[in-house]
Amino acid sequence: MRKTTVAKLVSAAALTASVVSLAAGPALADPPSGTTPAATDIVGVGSDTVQALFNQLSTDYTGTPKLYSWDATGTSPITTKTGATSITRPNGSGAGITALGSTTSSTVDFARSSRGPQTGDPTTDDFIAYAKDAVSWAAKSGGDAPANLTKADLQGIYACTITKWNQITDISGFTGSANTIQPFLPQSGSGTRSFFLSSTGITTIGSCVNQTVEENEGSNTLLQTNDSVVPYSVGHYIGQVYFSHGSGTDVQGPLTVRNLDGIVPIDTTNKTISSAYAVSAYSRNLYNVVRAGDWNAGDSHATALKAIFSSTGWICKNATAQADLKSYGFLPLALCGVISHT
Amino acid sequence: MHARRFLPVVVAASAALALGLTLPGSATAATAASGSAVITESSTFFQQAAAQGVFAAPLPSATGAYSSANGLTSTFPVTGGTGNVDQITADLQLGGGLLIVDVKTGRAAAFTNLDFNTFLGQFTGVPVGGSTPVALLDPAGDLSVGGDGTAQTLTSSELDVDPAGAAYLNAHLQTGFFAGQSVGSFAVSYTPAS
Repeated sequence: MRKTTVAKLVSAAALTASVVSLAAGPALADPPSGTTPAATDIVGVGSDTVQALFNQLSTDYTGTPKLYSWDATGTSPITTKTGATSITRPNGSGAGITALGSTTSSTVDFARSSRGPQTGDPTTDDFIAYAKDAVSWAAKSGGDAPANLTKADLQGIYACTITKWNQITDISGFTGSANTIQPFLPQSGSGTRSFFLSSTGITTIGSCVNQTVEENEGSNTLLQTNDSVVPYSVGHYIGQVYFSHGSGTDVQGPLTVRNLDGIVPIDTTNKTISSAYAVSAYSRNLYNVVRAGDWNAGDSHATALKAIFSSTGWICKNATAQADLKSYGFLPLALCGVISHT
Repeated sequence: MHARRFLPVVVAASAALALGLTLPGSATAATAASGSAVITESSTFFQQAAAQGVFAAPLPSATGAYSSANGLTSTFPVTGGTGNVDQITADLQLGGGLLIVDVKTGRAAAFTNLDFNTFLGQFTGVPVGGSTPVALLDPAGDLSVGGDGTAQTLTSSELDVDPAGAAYLNAHLQTGFFAGQSVGSFAVSYTPAS
């Protein structure tokens, strides 16, 4: 009964997304060329996984002050808004959270994060959950990788104790080649990297692992060999493949997202994260991170933040925003706006 | 007259509680999941409900308390669970039951097999004599979670009657009271089995 209910939620998400995704205007990377956000506008940096989503949300949000989002990659440094201190462009959730902590609202108002709070984050930050994503692994279509890997397989691959496909013996029907596996990880500031490692129990990263790739970019030729393995946001992949939200380097290329522990990540019929994967250990919440001091200040800036991010705010309650979430591959969160801390 | 009509419901609820609340999820754990879910009916809601002849009460092993300042507080013990409240992945089984009566219409509804699922954001119960859970209540308003991976908490400043629950109760109790109602607040404490 419970699975049926979750499945209905997931299916409804997909249907809504398919109907509404084309209603909004096109998303633009970064604030539009020639536009410098005003000092009072709400400006975010951080996660690669949700940068495309936030470009769309920024386009669709019509409130005042406006909402702007800076991509994880691009020219650097950046001056985020009028009067801001120039900063190195934060690439990833961790870098965004760090930037939030090292600046004031004159420069950064929120950090996009694809991971939850963890040890080392400022205790003065509020993590505001708004959607559900999941992480699995991806490999080249037609390459040497199987359709499924277990958590134990991934632990071995990333520890470099499993280096060839024929050392994988726990996948029914799979006879691996003698070719050498090429494991990749996103850069250290990536929330997808952080969540992938923690959810799969990978504690040892061997020297065979390339840790330099940008996440969710199958356009990278390093990942296009027959033997590459890389973590991938399931939601981001769905947005790229099923809703045509990829562009430039932000595309899936020849990669396909594979099963983990036998759980199929994508409901290809409904074009959404599968109900089984959504309740697995490999699902994660997506957050916007704000300074608690800003959130609770009781001033116009706090009002502006809450108008966008709170449980009764635009992202959680507006039909266009919710349709954007679904169109970019993510699941709505019933407890949208719930706040957590380190 | 009214008491006679309520009695079978209460007896059935008690029987269900006595017979049916051994739930999966913690039987093999060295330390069972523990904690509680607390529904606090605001004084405003309590008074409005009372004026309409509607009363809600926890059934054993849940407990209740009332004060004029805080309204009615119902505490449901956690009897099992999976996932984590602080990760918004928890599905908690709760002991006891929930009885709702309408003295004006002389009808009552009782729910057992109570459950709180953070992914769905719903507090559900199975009507006594039925098998399908009904979404009863939805946390809303200011929401927060906390914890250190073991002791975990969730609080909500509002607790709204779910549209499905309102439809069920309105039909079952022959009233129009429940649609759009906000009951009060909600708090969960949870320690996963270990």
